[in-house]
Amino acid sequence: MTFRQFAFNNVLRNKRLYVAYFLSSLFTVMVFFTFANFAFHPVFTGGTVDSKALFSMAVAGGIIYIFSFFFVLYSMSSFLQSRKKEFGLLMLQGASTTQIRLMVFMENILVGFLATVGGILLGLVFSKAVLLIAENVLIVNESLNFYFPSLAIGVTFISFMVLFLFISMFVAFILRTKKLIDLIKGDKQSKGEPKANIFLAIFAALLLIIGYGVALTVKGALVVYAMIPVIVVVILGTYLLFTQLSVYIIRKLKGNRTIFWRKTNMLLFSDLSFRMKDNARTFFMVAIISTVAFSAIGTLFGFQSYLTKGMVQANPFSITYFSYADDTDKDINNELNQIQAILNEKDIHSEMKQIALNYYSSPYRDEGVLFVKASDYNNFARLVGEKEIHPGEKEAIVVDQSSKILSYSNPSDQLMESTIKLENGAELTPTAKIETEILPEFNGYYIITDNNYEQLGSPLRSSMYYVWQVDKGQTDKVVEAGEKISEKVPYKAQSVDYNVYQINKTFGPILFIGLFIGIVFFVSAGSFLYFRLYSDLEDDKRKFGSVAKMGLTQNELKKIVNRQTALLFFAPIIVALIHGAVALTALSHMFDFNLMKEATFVLGSFALIQIIYFLIVRLFYVKQLKHAIY
Amino acid sequence: MLKIKKVGKVYEGKVAYRALTDIDLEVEKGEFVAIMGPSGSGKTTLLNIISTIDEPTAGVVEIDGKSPHQLKKNELAKFRRQELGFIFQDFNLLHTLTVEENIVLPLTLDGARIKEMKEKASTIAEKLGIGAIMNKRTYEISGGQAQRVAIARAMIHEPKLLLADEPTGNLDSKASKDVMEMLVSINEKEQTSLLMVTHDPQAASYSDRVIFIRDGKLHSEIHHGESRQAFFQKIIDMLSLMGGDGNDLSSVRV
Ligand SMILES: Nc1ncnc2c1ncn2[C@@H]1O[C@H](COP(=O)(O)OP(=O)(O)O)[C@@H](O)[C@H]1O
Ligand SMILES: [Mg+2]
Repeated sequence: MTFRQFAFNNVLRNKRLYVAYFLSSLFTVMVFFTFANFAFHPVFTGGTVDSKALFSMAVAGGIIYIFSFFFVLYSMSSFLQSRKKEFGLLMLQGASTTQIRLMVFMENILVGFLATVGGILLGLVFSKAVLLIAENVLIVNESLNFYFPSLAIGVTFISFMVLFLFISMFVAFILRTKKLIDLIKGDKQSKGEPKANIFLAIFAALLLIIGYGVALTVKGALVVYAMIPVIVVVILGTYLLFTQLSVYIIRKLKGNRTIFWRKTNMLLFSDLSFRMKDNARTFFMVAIISTVAFSAIGTLFGFQSYLTKGMVQANPFSITYFSYADDTDKDINNELNQIQAILNEKDIHSEMKQIALNYYSSPYRDEGVLFVKASDYNNFARLVGEKEIHPGEKEAIVVDQSSKILSYSNPSDQLMESTIKLENGAELTPTAKIETEILPEFNGYYIITDNNYEQLGSPLRSSMYYVWQVDKGQTDKVVEAGEKISEKVPYKAQSVDYNVYQINKTFGPILFIGLFIGIVFFVSAGSFLYFRLYSDLEDDKRKFGSVAKMGLTQNELKKIVNRQTALLFFAPIIVALIHGAVALTALSHMFDFNLMKEATFVLGSFALIQIIYFLIVRLFYVKQLKHAIY
Repeated sequence: MLKIKKVGKVYEGKVAYRALTDIDLEVEKGEFVAIMGPSGSGKTTLLNIISTIDEPTAGVVEIDGKSPHQLKKNELAKFRRQELGFIFQDFNLLHTLTVEENIVLPLTLDGARIKEMKEKASTIAEKLGIGAIMNKRTYEISGGQAQRVAIARAMIHEPKLLLADEPTGNLDSKASKDVMEMLVSINEKEQTSLLMVTHDPQAASYSDRVIFIRDGKLHSEIHHGESRQAFFQKIIDMLSLMGGDGNDLSSVRV
């Protein structure tokens, strides 16, 4: 047996130990490859996608790569931690530090190579499915066919071989060979409880309360300024929550004999505090990483629905046409005919209405104020099923658009305060203000009776406004028509369905990339937990083994492990879910747009995935323990 | 061969604990010395210091004229694989390796030739009666066999000093007897110095000299007289004289 043979045998015969490390490396490679496979798809490199999307893809690729680096580094160092005793024994037999480093280096090159090749192969297997999903999320015109991704393979292979080589050197270097006695006793030694300080514990609670308080109360553009300080405060608070507050609580529980000495609680709590230092670090990391994932996905998802829903709300009519003030009747007729022709060609059934928007001079506004006849308004309102308005003879109703975005001054307030003089000498007072989207006027307008309208005199300027309301269930046709219309009659004619389609199309790649990165973060948070759990497996086997000899039923074992694992899996995720909910609430305050549905959907899905993950991992963990003990 | 002078050890912690005080000890070439004492008296601590697993907080350790604690890391590694051999109560074999691979490990680390390793391994395995299990993995063999493998591993590079911490602690009396006889024959034939910590008066009676430690201090020592039986009796007497906690005699097998 040469030294090289020894190093290889050590990996090959010790598969169990290496499997967690190998799988997480494999997974990382697979994710990166899937992304590369997608990013290097001929449809994108062919140039039909705009450069911004390509740039964001490059940035996303970089983020995934850097994240992979730290993730592999972390996996590897926790893997090496669990092998202290082995290193100690080797050194006792006379292995030099150089030899141990060489061994770790060779192992990593071997595992890294297998993980890279395996990750690429696995990625290839799933690539068709991923491209299909991407195609649907992305709304690209060309379909993303399966192709043989030689470029993606090459880039992934080289990137990860470099990464593993670099990490191998790095780890071989930082693998400090401490005193032999520490290595040999390594797995029996507690890393100890972090010191819990009552003041720091209170401080943790305080930081979180302040962070949450600020995040939940600020409104509008202030959210942007509050964001960074709040993030810092909450991260610090989370760290202290796990290192101080939780340790403090566990210690208090341990101090309470009626709880601590009750049935199997002693085993549970003593373990908790024994592993608290390791756990605290894992909890913190998992909580933060998951929060990033939740917030990123929630934000993108919420933003998309804000844009599309906002668009639909602000445009109750399917197609609109708004003439310029200096258009002649001939111009207008010409364009209307074009629109009608396109609608006919696509066989779209619709109902058309028109209105002349007349602006009258006003001492307050140079551009004039819009007055609308009640009959005209009601004509439009009926078309979309909104309430009709019937102002009295002596009054005017002020109408404001409800979907104004981030506006601070409210011009319609001014309309409420001024009175209107008619040509016959009568005076109208504004009596009420309503919000609708029926007419496109940002600065607000008056609705008055038809009789009063005749007494306004001649308008300052005038535009024609036409709307078409199409029958339901023709969205695809309308999108096609909308595209044609906006080509033929740019700016003046709008089709809301086509606009929404356009938003989805531009937003698609960003959403997909965001989703991708979010999932990468979330899944790696999951594997941190897996590592944490499995690094205690041997210890648990020994401990439960000796307790089992004293009489521990399988059910009791299951109960303890259940609680222990549930705590590990849910403590950080619950914190992350709360963080995420607060972040999304703050976001919805910023846009003054209700994200409740989106946030519930995103956070709920993650919670569900975590529960399923927990159930699966626990099943196997308990099985392994039982197998070793009973 | 082995010389230790005024060795002391304090474990730092919340409360510092003095585990060893002013230990002086000399072992000649080819001598077999046993160390006994109640549990917690510092036997393992002393052996760990001699075997360079741990460091003393006071005093010096000299093995064959060299001070291993003063050596640089790489020299120390070389020193361990050429001059020292270790045997533990719980065997400490590497479970990824076969029996044979475990045995040749010190030579592998030293970069020996394959042929030489094979030959040495088979010679020593014959001597220890484990030739038939060379290709088995460590979880497929019994405790007695595992300890013989550990002895083979400790002996294959012909160390000058063999250190054993309760080598028979996990074995039944038949296996204990076999292991002790092997150690004695190695000690006699190869002129290897042997330092062994044990709880077992039976095992200790194979030695040339027994050193007793109590509360981290040397208590007394007795020498092997004419017969093993008489020596055994003297050891038993000394142990009961020393007292200590009763647990210690629980493993006595007469
Ligand atoms: N790492 C350590 N830290 C603190 N005290 C220790 C440590 N290892 C051993 N001790 C203490 O030193 C004393 C001697 O231990 P040891 O040498 O293992 O005794 P034994 O004679 O049973 O082998 C014991 O009281 C033990 O509690
Ligand atoms: Mg001991």
